Amino acid sequence: MMEESIRLDGVSLWRRTQEEFSYDLKRTILSFLEGKYRHPAKKIVLDNIDLTIEKGEKIGIIGANGSGKSTLLKLISGILTPTSGTVRVRGKVAPLIELSAGFDHELAVKDNIILYGVMLGYSQEEMKAKAKLILKFAELEDYALVPVKGLSSGMTARLGFAIATDTKPDILILDEVLSVGDVTFKNKCSQRMEEFWQDRVTVLLVSHSMELIRKNCHKAIWLEQGQIKMIGESNNVVDEYLRRVKPTELTSESAVESAIT
Amino acid sequence: MVTTVSNQEKQREWSWYRELLAVLIRRNLKRRYRGSLLGIYWSLLNPMAMTGLYTAIFGAAFAQYYDNSALNYILAAFTGLVVINFFSSSTAQALPSVVENGGIVNKIRLPLFIFPLSTIGANVFQLLMGAFPLLAIVTLIISKNVINVAALILPIFGLILVCAGVGMLMSALYVFFRDLSYFYELVTFILWMGSPIFYPPDIVPDTVSRFLVLNPILPIIESIRQITLSGNLPDLILIGHSLISGAIVLTIGIVAFSSWRSQFMDLL
Repeated sequence: MMEESIRLDGVSLWRRTQEEFSYDLKRTILSFLEGKYRHPAKKIVLDNIDLTIEKGEKIGIIGANGSGKSTLLKLISGILTPTSGTVRVRGKVAPLIELSAGFDHELAVKDNIILYGVMLGYSQEEMKAKAKLILKFAELEDYALVPVKGLSSGMTARLGFAIATDTKPDILILDEVLSVGDVTFKNKCSQRMEEFWQDRVTVLLVSHSMELIRKNCHKAIWLEQGQIKMIGESNNVVDEYLRRVKPTELTSESAVESAIT
Repeated sequence: MVTTVSNQEKQREWSWYRELLAVLIRRNLKRRYRGSLLGIYWSLLNPMAMTGLYTAIFGAAFAQYYDNSALNYILAAFTGLVVINFFSSSTAQALPSVVENGGIVNKIRLPLFIFPLSTIGANVFQLLMGAFPLLAIVTLIISKNVINVAALILPIFGLILVCAGVGMLMSALYVFFRDLSYFYELVTFILWMGSPIFYPPDIVPDTVSRFLVLNPILPIIESIRQITLSGNLPDLILIGHSLISGAIVLTIGIVAFSSWRSQFMDLL
């Protein structure tokens, strides 16, 4: 029997356009005094989205830059709340993101593991127990007490991947490019991604690589200007998308591809 | 609206907040002291040096207001400085806390209020390890009463509430106004001058002292001084004032933070 995993009903989101905002108290007060103050402009990013995703489905999300793909994922992970409509999500959502940029470089590797684990929803105790396995996966057992700034960039990336994937989520969200380490480590990454795909984990994958979507997703959603342009079997959606879009707009994110396939 | 939450989930949410707070406070302290906990006592250097400076300059002039005792002046200045120092450094650190974590909150769902609270929390830890034992010792010597030492917790709790409220308010405003630090420096300076730290409250003209009542720090300083320095039993009215002051400021902070919260993500 199918079980509902994610459900969006009439979801719209308006966001402020950042460029318009001055971020400046002095100027805001002065423009008030001069009577030039304008309310910040808002634009619609997602427009009346209805969507149901069943548990275990692997969904690819495609569309041009700025079509609302990442925003949709942020709504589902609870980072953003919709302006109107409801988002219902069943189970634990794990974002598979590049953590390495967000590490606290002064802190030891082990402290960073615990910090991130707690941010992802685990307890400190759980993370202390997991730390060993994470360090082992990242091949950093000897570096547990070294501050992150003492690691090479490859090591940092490995650590990020190891933490982010050491979860048993119900819904996995894949947005950014995950390019990690040397060839042997890449194989380990692929294996881990494979496990996610085998499981009854719901996967949402944003990518510009049509091959990746065809190969890994049953279903695809095509977003255009905040609306669902098309939803259905991934091959059909990708074919239709490729027919409509100029080839120059397609860029490949081969790193994700090599991490998954 | 995202998902209706059951009671059990709500409980899990709260224990997650607690865990987050603990982890972030520890990160804050670790980053500040890098393994040497002696660093906490470094934080006493500032109030002590200031006390020495104020005593050297104003001690003789103001001694008559303190029963002609230099020691009384020193103690009054020190208690005041501990309070105002805690206030200004903890809130100044809380101010950029939400914006500083803008990267991570765009990737992982996190409760934003946890960031100002964790900076205040790290400062509370520092206060409890550093200045608080000193205050407790002074209290014990002067009042010779353990009740006074225990009562000291209450106005300090009021102080923590004030700082948490101001920290939330400022961290929220900073999301909108990135030049807020300059204005906030002015505000803390006004509070600093508006609190009777190095001068006796009696020298302030009545017309001005009417406005000083608005200073949320004032009842806290008064209560701590009364408990620590007067030698009498704790004055419950002063304690009540400092707790009320804390509750009011915290409420303002929470209301402001949560009503602007929905706009934060567009600006981080």
